[in-house]
Amino acid sequence: MELLIIFLSILAAATTCLLAKSRGVIECVSVTASFIALVGSVLIALKVSKFGVYAPYEFFSVNALGSIVVCIIGLVGFAAVTYAVGYLREETAKEIIGFTRVKQFFVLLNLFLATMLLAVTASNPIFTWIAIEATTLSTAFLISFYNKPSAMEAAWKYLIVNSVGLLLGFFGTLLYFTSLQGTGEVGFMTWDNLLSGATHLDPMIAKIAFVFVLIGYGTKVGLAPMHTWLPDAHSKAPAPISALLSGVLLNVAFVTVLRFKGITDVSVGPEFAQKLFIVFGLLSLFVATLIIFTQKSYKRLLAYSSIENMGIMTIGFGFGGLGVFAAILHMIYHSLFKSILFFSAGNTFLRYSSTKIATVRGIISALPVTGVIFLAATLAITGTPPFGIFLTKMFILSAGMKTYPIVAIAAIFLMALLFVGFFKHITTIIFGEKPDEIAIGEKNMWLVIPPLALIIIALCLSFYIPPFLNNLIVMASHS
Amino acid sequence: MIMISAQFLFAIFFITTVSLHIGKKIFGAAMAYSVQSFVIVLLIAGSFVQTGSIPLLFVALLVLVTKVILAPILITRAMKKSRLKFLMNTYINIPITLVIIAVITAVAHSSLFAPLVSIIPANKELLSLSLSTILISFFLIVNHKGAISQIIGVLSLENSIVAFVFFAGLEQSLSLQIGIMFDIVIWIIIATVFASMIYRHFGSLDVTEMEHLKD
Repeated sequence: MELLIIFLSILAAATTCLLAKSRGVIECVSVTASFIALVGSVLIALKVSKFGVYAPYEFFSVNALGSIVVCIIGLVGFAAVTYAVGYLREETAKEIIGFTRVKQFFVLLNLFLATMLLAVTASNPIFTWIAIEATTLSTAFLISFYNKPSAMEAAWKYLIVNSVGLLLGFFGTLLYFTSLQGTGEVGFMTWDNLLSGATHLDPMIAKIAFVFVLIGYGTKVGLAPMHTWLPDAHSKAPAPISALLSGVLLNVAFVTVLRFKGITDVSVGPEFAQKLFIVFGLLSLFVATLIIFTQKSYKRLLAYSSIENMGIMTIGFGFGGLGVFAAILHMIYHSLFKSILFFSAGNTFLRYSSTKIATVRGIISALPVTGVIFLAATLAITGTPPFGIFLTKMFILSAGMKTYPIVAIAAIFLMALLFVGFFKHITTIIFGEKPDEIAIGEKNMWLVIPPLALIIIALCLSFYIPPFLNNLIVMASHS
Repeated sequence: MIMISAQFLFAIFFITTVSLHIGKKIFGAAMAYSVQSFVIVLLIAGSFVQTGSIPLLFVALLVLVTKVILAPILITRAMKKSRLKFLMNTYINIPITLVIIAVITAVAHSSLFAPLVSIIPANKELLSLSLSTILISFFLIVNHKGAISQIIGVLSLENSIVAFVFFAGLEQSLSLQIGIMFDIVIWIIIATVFASMIYRHFGSLDVTEMEHLKD
């Protein structure tokens, strides 16, 4: 029931936005729908924590990991929609966009949220693929939202690279269906059907299929070397969309890869997928380290940080054991802190009208609240204690020290370099002398409340994990 | 007899995929894609004749409308809007391109992909050939500089996967086929709209002209 209400409210909001002639109506229905989605997602998570898999209808099934990501979509989605109201009002005031663009934005934003939810909750792998492909289609116009040549270029790259990646993922997905040939099972195939049929899967086909899935959906996750679209798309999209792309969408694709990993593990044992995860994870860390020092844009910097964090999570799942628990927790923290960082970057852009590190100085003087939030989130994302990411990184690395010590040491080295590079750039823009022409004071409280609320939640979660969430993480790490 | 006609039809599919690499005119490429899709329609229709399955007939009609008729219309419309007749250059010249296609075809027939092409042993040859069209389509996207070529490359890749799935007996239920087809139609519309927007911004459909993200 909850799921149906979530989908209906978001789709009703998208339709209303399409037909509405008043900005207030568009904003009001979008915020209300995303709030309903937030409440519904928490209710679903509570149910999964208590009763296990939530499958109210044949077409939907939410397991523990899925419910965590549904909660992330609900929480970050609500924050992003609320933030978007203030953000787009500022852009309208600056005459960057008009009413039609606002309308388009909220229609696409609602569709984007619906497709992400569908991707995580679909019980059929092909439906999941259709939904993930639909996330690409709904966000392409959001990335090219400003209609500038650079945004157009980023959107085209996003569309083509992800479409090719997803087609390869589609091919890999279909190869898993060979396990059901000759078993007499016909009709609607679910994830559970594939998992139970995994013992009949030819190990060689399982390996080839997983490689296609990892490369295909891994493109959407932003794993190197398929990451090329990510920094462009995340830096050119409006700030609320960047927050959703980085904080939520990457996890949606990652969950799909993990579901296939589970099936592959049954067929060929866990080592094959684990080794691939470690290779791709370490490569992502390496690529992010290589590029982060030479970054000229703070939004691109945040995008490369996403590649780094996806790499860390991948390594965590590759290490197994405690690493899996830590990787899931890392996913939650990363979603929250990365969204906060993109919101802070959005506030900075509205004030300085630039995303260049060289031209932005003294955020803490110009935007005191945003500056503090930006700094705190930077400390958190780089793994500074006492924030939760420090602990998850430690757990991942300690898990690796037992099984893959050389990889763990290499990861520590790369993380240390990334910390220095990221911190150097961000402190440069937060501190330093504010240019005289830049006014002091926050523009709009609606631009401050969402990141502030998220950082309070993220901080609380760094010290206390609610029992239902802890239960979900434990369930997800054992599945 | 059915196997021979499937081989003959897929030989046409293979030739059209190769022709996408060599052709210079956008209209020709759109027509080649249309022929390629029509082969898929005939294969599915043949399966309908054999099994009498009504969903298969419905899927064949769906493919006919979306890929054989609608997609080429949208591509040629984008071409007319940008007043372009010819496809952009490739990174690699045609003789070397043909050598690479030959190598790709050989690799698809090698023991490297033996587990994949043995899914249905009776269709081994057809599976090898469809696997080679997957790789050749992928090469088309990578090798071409033009936005329209990239769109056709993605569509050809999707057609090749559909062909492989057909020969491997991995077809999905009707509801899923409708979902996939709907996704593809939306993709074609969005991609062609983007191609027009790119032409408006850059005065060309050559993706190498897009250099605003170099910093």
